Amino acid sequence: MKRLTAVALAGLLALAGCGANDPKKEEGGEAKGGKLTILSASTDINFDPAKSQNLAITTLGLVLRRLTTWDVQPGKPAVVVPDLATDTGKIGADGKSWTYTLKDGLTYADGSAITTADIKYGIERSFAPELSGGLGYHKSLLTGGDKYKGPYTGGELASIETPDAKTIVFHLTTAYGDWPWIVSMPAFSPVPKAKDDPKKYNQNPVASGPYQVSSYQQGSLVKLTRNPKWDAKTDQVRTAGPDEIDFQLGQETTVAAQRLIADTGDDRNAFGAGFVPPAQLVQIQANPTAKERLVTSEPGALTYLALNTQRGPLKDVKVRQAIEYAVDKKAFQIASGGTTGGDPASTLITPGIAGRVDYNLYPADPAGDVAKAKQLLTEAGQTRLKLVLLSENDQVNLAKAQAIQQGLQRAGITVTIKPVTTDAWIEVATGEKPDFDLTVSGWQPDFPSANGNIQPLFDSTQIGGGGYNLARYSQPEVDTLIAQATAEGDPAKAQALWAQADKRILQDAPVVPLLYAKNSFLHGSNVRNFSVAAFPGYPNYLKVSLKN
Amino acid sequence: MVVDAPPVSAPTRQARHPLRQLLADRWAVAGGVTILVFLLVAVAAPLLSALEGHDPYTYDTNALTGDGVPIGFGGGISTEHWFGVEPQTGRDLFAIVVYGARTSFLVGFAATALSILIGVVVGVTAGYFGGWYDRIVSRFIDVLFGFPWLVFVIAIGAIAPAWLPKQLLIILVIGLFGWPGIARVIRGQTLALKQRTFVVAATALGAGPGHLLRRQYLPNLVSTIIVYSTMTIPGMIGAEAALSFLGVGVPPPTPAWGRTIGEAIAWVQTDPMFLIFPGAALFLVTLAFNLFGDGLRDALDPRTRGTRR
Amino acid sequence: MRTLRYLATRLLGMVGTLLVISVLTYAVFYLLPSDPARLSCGRPCTPDRLAEASAFMGYSKPWLQQYLDFLVGIVAGRHFGSGLAAVDCAAPCFGYSFRLNESVTQLIVDRAPVTFSIAIGAAALWLIVGVGAGVVAAVKRGTVIDRSAMVFSTIGVSAPSYLVGLLGILLFGFTLDVVPVGGYVPLTESPVDWLWHLVLPWTVLALLSAAVYARLTRGQMLEVLSEDYIRTARAKGLRERRVIGRHALRNVLIPVATVFGLDLGTLLGGAVISEKVFSMQGLGALLIDAVGNVDLPLIVGVTLFSAFLVIFANFLVDLVYSVLDPRMSLSDAAASSGRN
Repeated sequence: MKRLTAVALAGLLALAGCGANDPKKEEGGEAKGGKLTILSASTDINFDPAKSQNLAITTLGLVLRRLTTWDVQPGKPAVVVPDLATDTGKIGADGKSWTYTLKDGLTYADGSAITTADIKYGIERSFAPELSGGLGYHKSLLTGGDKYKGPYTGGELASIETPDAKTIVFHLTTAYGDWPWIVSMPAFSPVPKAKDDPKKYNQNPVASGPYQVSSYQQGSLVKLTRNPKWDAKTDQVRTAGPDEIDFQLGQETTVAAQRLIADTGDDRNAFGAGFVPPAQLVQIQANPTAKERLVTSEPGALTYLALNTQRGPLKDVKVRQAIEYAVDKKAFQIASGGTTGGDPASTLITPGIAGRVDYNLYPADPAGDVAKAKQLLTEAGQTRLKLVLLSENDQVNLAKAQAIQQGLQRAGITVTIKPVTTDAWIEVATGEKPDFDLTVSGWQPDFPSANGNIQPLFDSTQIGGGGYNLARYSQPEVDTLIAQATAEGDPAKAQALWAQADKRILQDAPVVPLLYAKNSFLHGSNVRNFSVAAFPGYPNYLKVSLKN
Repeated sequence: MVVDAPPVSAPTRQARHPLRQLLADRWAVAGGVTILVFLLVAVAAPLLSALEGHDPYTYDTNALTGDGVPIGFGGGISTEHWFGVEPQTGRDLFAIVVYGARTSFLVGFAATALSILIGVVVGVTAGYFGGWYDRIVSRFIDVLFGFPWLVFVIAIGAIAPAWLPKQLLIILVIGLFGWPGIARVIRGQTLALKQRTFVVAATALGAGPGHLLRRQYLPNLVSTIIVYSTMTIPGMIGAEAALSFLGVGVPPPTPAWGRTIGEAIAWVQTDPMFLIFPGAALFLVTLAFNLFGDGLRDALDPRTRGTRR
Repeated sequence: MRTLRYLATRLLGMVGTLLVISVLTYAVFYLLPSDPARLSCGRPCTPDRLAEASAFMGYSKPWLQQYLDFLVGIVAGRHFGSGLAAVDCAAPCFGYSFRLNESVTQLIVDRAPVTFSIAIGAAALWLIVGVGAGVVAAVKRGTVIDRSAMVFSTIGVSAPSYLVGLLGILLFGFTLDVVPVGGYVPLTESPVDWLWHLVLPWTVLALLSAAVYARLTRGQMLEVLSEDYIRTARAKGLRERRVIGRHALRNVLIPVATVFGLDLGTLLGGAVISEKVFSMQGLGALLIDAVGNVDLPLIVGVTLFSAFLVIFANFLVDLVYSVLDPRMSLSDAAASSGRN
């Protein structure tokens, strides 16, 4: 599950699903060759699987394969498919263990065989405090994971068994239907113990994917070249078109967007890793050739306004419901890039997730229903509310914050914006001292299941301590529903439970759903097979190729 | 501005009254008038925007297309919106520019006043008393010069308690980082004055430090102080604009030229007027202060007094 | 002997100043409401994992203890963690960035060439253009040349650098397409590209600063030219060129040198805005990045390095001052270098 910010997004460096709406895209196009350039605003790429939070279809996915991976294609929902393993896993008799078998003939770039011992070691080292920072869903699901401190201080994790070089068995603490998605995460990439140098692995990991890191200039340029030992026949999601992939780091966003619009020289073989800023979206709409090269995803990740339900006047559900009506979603949409920025939202589970039910508990004009809001506020006896809106201090987030502020102003609510840096935002919003009333946040699940939309945001265990229950929402009835749905084995029943939870939560109005975000990316005219799905809302790096 | 040559006490030309000379300098007059005009605009901002019928906070999404682009020529210039509207919000640009003048002038003047006050006090006392006090002050000045104030401001923004208004914080920070400049200049001048005959004479006659500082030093420093102040103001205004550009200045939605300029740069191909109006305003104000300051310096400096530019 | 003692005192002063700056930086960033270990916590982040990450990086110790560890590390090197993943930072160790897996010293060494390239090139340009224009304007006082030079200078001083920079990129990089817009190319890789990528940043920075120096030089020149000794020199029959070049310029350069030293020192420390605008990963960009990620060791390290450059520049200026002005001894030079 991911909170969307401009920074986090740039740092995700592409995961793309399908769902492109570009009719001119070439079909098939298995062209090989050329040098692809990726322009990124981020200043660092970390290739260490233990520390990475990358999506399966972006940067890290080019170099490191996992047990399973994602098959993301235009117009279809994302599916988990086998990568190094032969299938997506077999559940054991007790319902809490999973077994995987590796395919034959898998080797690293240096020719040595990939074994399950390597996968086990890769997972184990992700527990080491020295390598903390990556996706850690597995850490609380594997038995003994809570106490395990990694292989460097000795010891191994017994709940991962490797009876032979091609079989691996996981013992979980609880039944978890989405485990196949978990093993597609970076920590499940094989790391040969002999080649592990934790201090340098982030710059030069042992490659199992179609590319390897050939040069790493910290902060400016990272080059990937082909891994000759990668076998395309064992890999159903990667096409490995370009011969070389260059990441240009630290690129100023507006300038990078202008380069892609101008589309000259080597920039024809390039694409932008980050979203196109709203001002350039407008520029592109007016430029026919650039417009063809703009790819916008289907509406996906939820952007929402979190209301701190444990603070002051916001404890009253009537006040919160008044805010649901007062918010000006139209202005917010414009601040996010207009109709290209997203569609107005009304549910917590996002489009593209199986089992989603569309409803609107607080029907109003996109610009809001100010009269109704005022009425509710009067009923609650709060006609002169003063609230603090916590916001990150970059332009895009401030524009969104102001859109919210002026919307609420119309209903008589005075909102003061408090701009802070990203890390301060994370600390205040997810930490122990939530000194704010309102904040805007985006959320994209780390895997496409309703679980990812609801649990991290509304389960009472996710309050504080780094959890993303920003609204500090705690409702025992909802916690029970969540637990039920997580454990439910039958997908249809689980989906029904999640939909029920969705509606139940919104009755308490702890958040105001604002938009289902549409992310737009721009690529050069020689780039082929560039598509962006609703989930995960990023380009699929694994399939991009260049025109010959 | 003086190395340590003594000021010319017997100019070869007829000395003119400083005000006369100032008024004869066309550029300085132009600068001065511009400053007055903008000052008036800043003070009368609510009046002016009421005249137009808009405030800088209300969104007007009807003036925009679905993508957020202002409808109409020049970013939506019309009888309704004299300078057009802001993209993505539809806020009135004229109101933003006139209210932005307030922010710039308030921060500019207040920060300068703070800097000058501290700088003069420290500079004079350091120059006068000398000794270890002077050495410590010099080291302290070094620390302030060496500190990356930008980084500091970003950090301070996060630490500052909620009850402290951001504008005040910015004034304090910019002011506190600005005083070393004037302090050094004043200190240098004080050291030079120390050796002047009239000072030595006064000391020999038994004058105490208070009298010396007030009666002998300060009057001779006044012209430097005035000129330096005039030259510092545009720098302070520019610093506030730079902070707003980086997103750590006066928080939105309070209008601020720097922030508007920062946003407008990305829109320059689709709506150039969004940049031109606030950009020209900032530029003109800075230019005006510089021209006026130049003229003032020429008029007050006894060496160039009486010389025609 | 006296000079030696003075030098020693100054050196001590420099070290003292740097210490004060380092304490202040540590203190300020410790007061920040964000936990530096937060960004290394991973997702989902639990209090346990946060505590683990904190402990490894040394952030769970009281800040005074951390500061002392830092000081000791400068002399004796530092060691984090244990086992295979332990990190060894050889002396002089100014900290280790866990985020970037690199010692601060190494990062500074890597990025410094970028900043230095920008700074030195721009500085040389603005010195030549600025001082030259100022001298010419002063000599040709009252003429069209003087007027136009001063008008351009005043305009240059009044324009905000970030605006000119970004407009410059848009105009020259895109519309006219005469310069590349993509960041820094190392000198060792391709001298031609290195130069080409730096032309625009140099020009923008130089033009804006040249304006300042032109005005300063002109002002100083005018004052000096009205001095008695200049009149004497002219009366003696010396050629005007010699009068200006030999006698006037020397006195003009003193205050110019003062300002130049400080400006160069500051720029060498990393012009944050310029580097951000031109997508160049120098020390300024490194610092802003570090602040955004609360990468404390990096923040302290780069701040100290920048501060050192500024203070050192100050010191050099005093030296130059004493050389240029034979009336002054070194300590007098320091005393009067405070003048504009």
